[in-house]
Amino acid sequence: MKQKLLPWLLGVGLLVLALAAPLLLQNQQYWLFIATQAYFWAMLAASWALLAGYAGQFSFGHIAFMAIAAYASGIVGRDLGWSPLSGIIFGVLLSGFVGLVIGWLCLRLRRTYLALFTIAFAEIFRLMVNAELDMTGGPMGLYMDPLLNTTSYIPYYYIMLALLLASLGFMYWLANSHFGLFFRSIREDEEAAAAMGVHVVRYKIMAFVVTSMIAGLAGAVDHHFIGFIAPTELIIGRMSLVIAMAVIGGIESLLGAALGAILIHFALEWLQEIPVPAGLMPNLIALAPTLEKFGLGVGDRGLVTNAWRMVGFGILLMLTLRFWRNGLIHPLIERMFRAEARKETVAKRMQAVQTQEQEEVES
Amino acid sequence: MIELDVRNVYKSFGGVQALNGVSFKIEGNQLVGLIGPNGAGKTTLTNVLSGILKPTSGEVWFNGERVDKLPPYQIARRGLGRTFQVTRAFRRMTVLENMLVPAMALHPASRKRDFYKKAMEILEFLTIEHMANEYARSLSGGQQKLLELGRLLMLDPDVIILDEPFAGVHPKLMEKIYEYIRIVHEQGKAFILISHDMESIFTLSERLLVLNFGELIADGDPQVVKHDPAVIEAYLGEEEEEEGPVAIPARPVAGPEENDA
Amino acid sequence: MDISGQYLVTLVLNGLLIGLIYALMALGLTLIFSVLGIVSFAHGEFYMLGGYVVYFALERFTNLSPIVAILLAGIIPFLVGIIFERLFLQPMARGEIERPGEYAILVTFGLSFFLQYLMAGIVGPFPKKADRFFDLPTFDLGWIKATASTLTIGGIPFSASRLTAGLIAMILIGAMILFIKRSWTGKALQAVSQDREAAAVTGINPLNMNTLAFGLGAMLAGLSGATLVDVFAWVPWVGVQASSKSFVIIVLGGMGSMPGALLGGLIIGIVESLGAGLFPDPGRALAYKDAFGLLIFAAVLLLKPTGLFGREL
Repeated sequence: MKQKLLPWLLGVGLLVLALAAPLLLQNQQYWLFIATQAYFWAMLAASWALLAGYAGQFSFGHIAFMAIAAYASGIVGRDLGWSPLSGIIFGVLLSGFVGLVIGWLCLRLRRTYLALFTIAFAEIFRLMVNAELDMTGGPMGLYMDPLLNTTSYIPYYYIMLALLLASLGFMYWLANSHFGLFFRSIREDEEAAAAMGVHVVRYKIMAFVVTSMIAGLAGAVDHHFIGFIAPTELIIGRMSLVIAMAVIGGIESLLGAALGAILIHFALEWLQEIPVPAGLMPNLIALAPTLEKFGLGVGDRGLVTNAWRMVGFGILLMLTLRFWRNGLIHPLIERMFRAEARKETVAKRMQAVQTQEQEEVES
Repeated sequence: MIELDVRNVYKSFGGVQALNGVSFKIEGNQLVGLIGPNGAGKTTLTNVLSGILKPTSGEVWFNGERVDKLPPYQIARRGLGRTFQVTRAFRRMTVLENMLVPAMALHPASRKRDFYKKAMEILEFLTIEHMANEYARSLSGGQQKLLELGRLLMLDPDVIILDEPFAGVHPKLMEKIYEYIRIVHEQGKAFILISHDMESIFTLSERLLVLNFGELIADGDPQVVKHDPAVIEAYLGEEEEEEGPVAIPARPVAGPEENDA
Repeated sequence: MDISGQYLVTLVLNGLLIGLIYALMALGLTLIFSVLGIVSFAHGEFYMLGGYVVYFALERFTNLSPIVAILLAGIIPFLVGIIFERLFLQPMARGEIERPGEYAILVTFGLSFFLQYLMAGIVGPFPKKADRFFDLPTFDLGWIKATASTLTIGGIPFSASRLTAGLIAMILIGAMILFIKRSWTGKALQAVSQDREAAAVTGINPLNMNTLAFGLGAMLAGLSGATLVDVFAWVPWVGVQASSKSFVIIVLGGMGSMPGALLGGLIIGIVESLGAGLFPDPGRALAYKDAFGLLIFAAVLLLKPTGLFGREL
């Protein structure tokens, strides 16, 4: 019994921490901001995990869906005077619609072709955004109305947290329902799934629509918070980041992907400037010229890593794929929950069957 | 009454004529064996019946409805189930989940737990109920075969096509599969058994269809068909050929055989 | 719109020139696919790497012949490719990896992520561009004349850099074709690409051929980049577009087909050139240049995924 309590305690603890964070970080608007961004990435990573890990659709267009909603919302706000809320709803629906179209186009594409096609789609979208200056502001970006009239990050923090929890909850419900069964059967073997009566077309497209809407929701809301969006957010490196987060967290685990995204985002922020003890700072400063040759730097508090922290994650991504296919975070969650659950459930099920039989005999 | 009516089905791929005017009708719970040399078109026929392939011409009617143009999942839902030559269980899903997929596909509004009882009963009959919460990939080959058979039953099919159910199967497992076929048959289901295992075919089938080069060269009582010269030639004739996509049958046409799997 | 014939010819010929380099790069990608059976999502990053090698070699060793620099740009990606293949792709070929198809996509994507930021770290944020490799001799024969930077034939200008690039690409393509068709190793590669098991039975080690093919593929990408670093501005993300184009070409030409890669490369080069040159809105033309290839790509994928000469994926 004790073993089962631990993961629940941890979970509740994390939740409490998340809810209380703004109070704890009162003066650190910066970290609050990072947290809202972490939740943004978590929504992207978790929804991508649902699409790729659960339904087996390795789409590289996820960031594009995120941006479609954001740009759409920004544009209707700017040109039609729509409120951010209306814009967000519109953007999410538009992302869903494009998701439907892409899902439909991809129906007959097998895994590698699907990856290539969605990369092409993402690239075409990026090119269009860059080219259509009048509509999108081109490389210079698009300003977006703030969602709320406040300079504090706290309300936004709670909004993003709420959206993350809501979308995780929704996706969990999906995954545990027959949708999840069908998604996974499609991932495992489409033809066999069809032979078992699964409406493969409908559920494949549904996977695209649902996940693109969640990505769109994250994108539209977050960018009404930040107030600005630019095509640099559409480069393939950002898609790689989502993938890295989902893979490292656990591609077949929504919670794993979300936690992975949050941890990685915080880590990337923290790693931007690795703090060095005050005593060693003079040594570091002395090394500055050499460090600069390698693209590193010295800041006020320590070592400035620039692009190198991403290099680290690239390596981590490749190693995780090679040695820990199920991710780094997911196995931990699994170990805590499943071991007990699995032993229990067979017995439980047999029990349920026997009880039912007894009831039938008695009636 | 169950009725599967195959009307003059042709199927060609590019230059290859895989099915050449195949016609037959299954009524009621017949246990039909389908045999033929390799490359004769048995799997192609199965793919056409289950909807994976569409006939180039001809029609397939099932229980009074034309089905050859329907997508596979709709044919499955109407009660035509099939297995594949290579077992295709959903590997990264549990055995129980494998069972639930067809059940939920047929009844999406239901809850998974509504089918636990039926699933566990079938699994118990197939002696793999203890693996219910294991991932299908941890099952042995034989167990996976049984899982596929169990999974089929969750579709509540009228017609079951088994594609090489005896291939590479050890005697104990063979017994179980025979039992499955007999019991399900008694419950009123029709079977189409595709196999190179002649002993099993002749033990189980009430009726024998023989396919060769996409044509149905025999259709009738197994004991009669066995002596049909066209059938004998189809099997023996190919041994004299040097080329061609056909292979020597895995087992002799009649006689005892051993199997070590 | 009045398009002069000369303008069209300029576009087509320039398209052909750049198409040759696309073809060289696509050749590498299709070689990898035909032997390993995977699409390398890091192909563009080897292209990017090759360009940087040339840039830095020429910058560090000012008297270095560009030819040597270009050779170096072939060798370094080759080595990186081999190391990566041994570490991350061999296990797949040995059957040690679950869901290899998924793995191949993700791990090569990971490599591209890694290489992009590696070079960003090493090179920094500013674009690099090498100086023109070779100056043309200046002459004027009326219908054909040349300055250091430009060759003009019949009034049609060609940039010396692009001409050099095209010429080098042609030579390399020829060398590659000779290698594949005539050398023992080349034939071994062909054998493995057609039937691994049969090749293995004849004493060819398919695992080694995998490594070689990946290395060669990376090398060809690197060489393509090397020829163009004096044409385009080089940033760590320059490979993304190159990757995209390579994907388009091998899908158009047929995955695993070398003639397909060559023809596809030329076609895409011409289509892009014509598309950009004839686009009614010159302001947008450049931005949409890559879109033409991508649209062809989408069309091929949806209508005839096997492309012009290809076999099933």
